[in-house]
Parts: sequence; structure tokens; C-alpha cells
Amino acid sequence: MTVGVLIIAAFMIIPLVVGFMAASKSVNTTEDFFIQGRGMGAVAVFFTVAATWWSSFAFLGSNATFYTSGPVYLTALAWNLLFGFMYYWVGKRVWYLGKRFNYITPSDLIGDFYNNEKLRLVVAAISLIFTIPYLQIQLTGGAYLIEVASGGVIPFWLAALVFYFIIVIYVWVGGIRAVAWTDIIYGALLFFGMLFAGIYISQNLGGPTGLFKSLLETSPEHLTLPGPQGTSGFGQWFSLFIVTAIGAFMGPQIWLRMYAVKSGKLFNLMPFLLGFAAIAYMGSVLTGFSGVLLEPNVANADQILPIMLTKYAPFALASLILAAGAAAAMSTANSQIHAVSTIMTLDIYQRYANPNASQEKIVKVGRISLVVFSLIAYVLALTVPGVLVTIGIAALAGTAQLIVPTIGAISWRKSHPTAAMWGLIGGVVTVLLITFVPAFSEPLGFHAGVWGLLVNTILFIWISLVLKRTDAEVVNRFDDARYDYNKEYHPELVEDSVETR
Amino acid sequence: MFSKYPRKKKLLYILVILVFLVLETPLIMMANTSEPFVLGMPFFLFWNLLWWFIGTALFLIAYLTNWGSKPMKEESK
Repeated sequence: MTVGVLIIAAFMIIPLVVGFMAASKSVNTTEDFFIQGRGMGAVAVFFTVAATWWSSFAFLGSNATFYTSGPVYLTALAWNLLFGFMYYWVGKRVWYLGKRFNYITPSDLIGDFYNNEKLRLVVAAISLIFTIPYLQIQLTGGAYLIEVASGGVIPFWLAALVFYFIIVIYVWVGGIRAVAWTDIIYGALLFFGMLFAGIYISQNLGGPTGLFKSLLETSPEHLTLPGPQGTSGFGQWFSLFIVTAIGAFMGPQIWLRMYAVKSGKLFNLMPFLLGFAAIAYMGSVLTGFSGVLLEPNVANADQILPIMLTKYAPFALASLILAAGAAAAMSTANSQIHAVSTIMTLDIYQRYANPNASQEKIVKVGRISLVVFSLIAYVLALTVPGVLVTIGIAALAGTAQLIVPTIGAISWRKSHPTAAMWGLIGGVVTVLLITFVPAFSEPLGFHAGVWGLLVNTILFIWISLVLKRTDAEVVNRFDDARYDYNKEYHPELVEDSVETR
Repeated sequence: MFSKYPRKKKLLYILVILVFLVLETPLIMMANTSEPFVLGMPFFLFWNLLWWFIGTALFLIAYLTNWGSKPMKEESK
């Protein structure tokens, strides 16, 4: 019991120390607080992106899904590859434009390219509204794990409270740099924790091969789609792939991590690193499947990992791995809290309330909104029960809609603001209808997010082709930026032809 | 635009798309069987890991060959 508490204590003090170390390097400017002055190095970028992207959805949800629904979560291998590829193809272009035109938030880019104030607000609203439920899931998951890891000594409300307190302190003093530095620790813990938990637990069944053989005899439907309940077939396989990868990629917390990068070369490497990290899911395969054989009657599947660990691993080890799980949740939560406060401060406060605010004033407002958003998340974690996977995926399906106007902005000069607006509205309305109106539930087995993206894309392309942009000056400015981007990174595309501009 | 891509880059993109086609179109259902076991794993798991490995290796090759583009000029500071 005491060992557990000690591990938790260390786990809470280390980020604080790291946060203050990061703070000693920071300067009191907007760019530094929100995107580290566009100077984040390779190691920090990889870990902060990976740890932010891997949330309690990955740590608890993956084990739970293998346990209840068979192999459908294996689609995560492909969605990690997709996420990595987008980070290269979309991320590098977003980064380039951000550096060139001094963007800090998602709205900055979309609002600037489409030259439309309403669209700017809609993007800020989508980012804020759909991030908060996803944030709340992290908090619930993280605090729950701490409660179990401490053997119940630290109750849920206290675990959550202490966590918020720590996050707020180090983000307050160190901004995104502190988040990135602590994410290095969280990311490593999370990766090895997931893998090691599975390998350790499967030893009870004669290692991975023994486990798969026993499963083939007792519950073979766990090894193929559509799983034991018969509901997780190709539709869900494909939907999870699309919605999770794109939804998480378009979250403001990942977006800030595109602007923050120092060197464009790093984007070339990220697909490999992010793809490779997916091997940690093998740990979840082993844990979830071991659960099927050893603990077949767990009512709340999200608890399968903590239950397996406390029953089948030494207490200290179990606590350490559960702390790693809390790391998964917290490393996402800290980045989300930081990101929503960034949007609130720059897209709402600075733009509409006080355009002439000084740098110090903006950072100060950023810090205050940090506290406010943490508080909202804390209250939500206490009052809205359970791990809300349905709302979680709906939240991802919402942010995923931003990919359409984003790809338009970075690659297609005909992209029209009216098209972006109606595309987003059509996409979000589709997501909400299919999610909350039972009559529309998941046509053909595909998730609301997939249908939303389809509606969004069709509207976007169709209206863009029909309408013509009149603001030639903005379109040309982006054409020039694209041309210079290609000249710098894909010289073969521009070498012999100026007329392709 | 794509016609201007060097052959190496085209090949790289085609292979990346192939990985996604194998894993995320109904083609995946052809591998949806637990037997035979390969390397101690049910076939479906093995198949997914195999293509994940191919995809990850492709991304490494992509990095090492600058995604098939000519070497970058010095980054502007």
C-alpha cells in the first residue's frame, strides 16, 4: 500500500520539478507560452505528440475493446500509420504557413486563408466544444487509475484534484515547454507500461502463443471480426481508423504541436516514429485476451487492465503501470487544457475583447483561462459518470471535420469560404444527427464521423467549384507561399515551370 | 502536379497507398481467419502486424530518401 502511494507521490512531484526546470528557460511572450517560440526540438516534439495523441482511450479503451469485442482495435496499427502520414503531409504544410504568416491557433490559418471572420469563429467553436468532452474522459480515466493504484488510499475526487493542481502549476509557469518536457516522461512510461503489462500478464497463460492457443479453443470468435458480440465488423474497423486518426490529428492540442516545431526536416521522420510506437498495442492485445480467459465476468470492461494488474502482478509493479496509465490520460489532458486556453485567449479575448493587449497581458489571460478550463474539466469529471466512449468518439468525429477546410487551405486555390462554412456545418450536423437521433443510427455500420466527413467533403468540393473567390490578393499570397514551400522542400515540382503557379 | 513527381517518390506513395488499401478496404476481410497460426500468432493478428511492419519500414525508407524528393536546401532560419 505504502509503495503504491510512494510511486504516486513520485509520479506527481517529478512533473512539477520538470515543469519548473522548463519554466526557467521560458520568456514571457505569447509565442513562447503557446508554441515555444517555434523552437521545439526533435525529441520533445516526438514525445509530446505521441503522448498527447495516446490518451486513456488508447490505454484503457484498447484493452477493454480486445476484451469485449475481439480484434477490431487492431485497426489502430493502420490509424497510427495514417496519423503519422498526416503529420508529415498536412502538418509540414501547416507548420510552414504558420511560420510564414505567424499563426498560433487553428483559426489563424483557416480564418486567414478563407479571409472570413465567421469561419474563424466556427473553427474556434468546434475546437473548443468538441475538445472538452474528450478532455473530461481523460480526467475521469486518469483519476480512476490513481485511485486504484493507491489501493483506494487516495479517493477519486482527491486524485483528480491533486492532478489538476499539478497540471495547472506547471503549465502556468512553463507553458507549452513544460507540457512537452513532462510528456517525455509520460510518453516513455506509457509506451513501456502498455507493452510490459501485456507481456507480464500473459505469462500466466504460458506466454503469448499459449494464450492465443487457449483462446482458439475456448473463445475463437475473439480472434476474428466481427468479434464475440458480432457487432464489430468492417464498418467499425474502417470508422475507427478514419475518425480516431483524423479527429485526434485535428484537435487543437496536436495543431499547436505543428506550429511549435523548429525544423521542417522533423516532419519527414515523424511518420516512422509514430508508426513504430504502435507496437505498444501488442501489450493491449495480450492484456485484453488474457482477461477473456482469466477474468471472463468483468462488468465494466474499461476496468480490465487495472483488475488484471492488481490480481496478477506484484503490487508495486501494478502501481507503476497504472501510474503509466494515468500518464496517458494526463499527458493528453495537460495538452488539451493548454490548447483550449490558447484558443480562448487568442481567438476570443485578443481578437474580440482586447486587440491591443500587451504580450504580458495575453500570457496572463492565458494562465487565467487555464485555471478556469481545468476547473470546468474537474467539475465534469466529478459529475458526469463513467468513461463516456460514445461521447468521446462523437467528440473526435466533430474535430475531424476540420480536416476538409484544412486540406483545402494548404492545397487547393479554388477552396471557397462559403464551401468551407457549409461543409463544416453539414459535417457537424450529420455527426450530431447520427449520434443522438436513434432513427439515423450508423447507416451501413459506419460511424457518424465517417458520414459527416463524406457530407462535408461533397459540400466543400461542390460549392468551391460553383463559386469563385473574389479576393485575389489573399489567394495569390497563399499561391506564393505554396510555391515557395515546394521550392524549398520539393524542388523538382517547380524547377522548370513557373507557369504551374 | 503528380506527373512531375520523381519515380522514387511515386513508387513510395503508391506503396503507402497499397498498405492502406490492404488494411482498410474490404480486402482485409480476406485475411479474417484465426488459422493457420504464423509465428505463434493467429493469422489475422499476424497479417495486420505484417502490413504494419511494411508500412513502418516504408516510412523509414521515406525518411532516409527525403520522401523521394531531391535533397533539401539549407533550411531558412
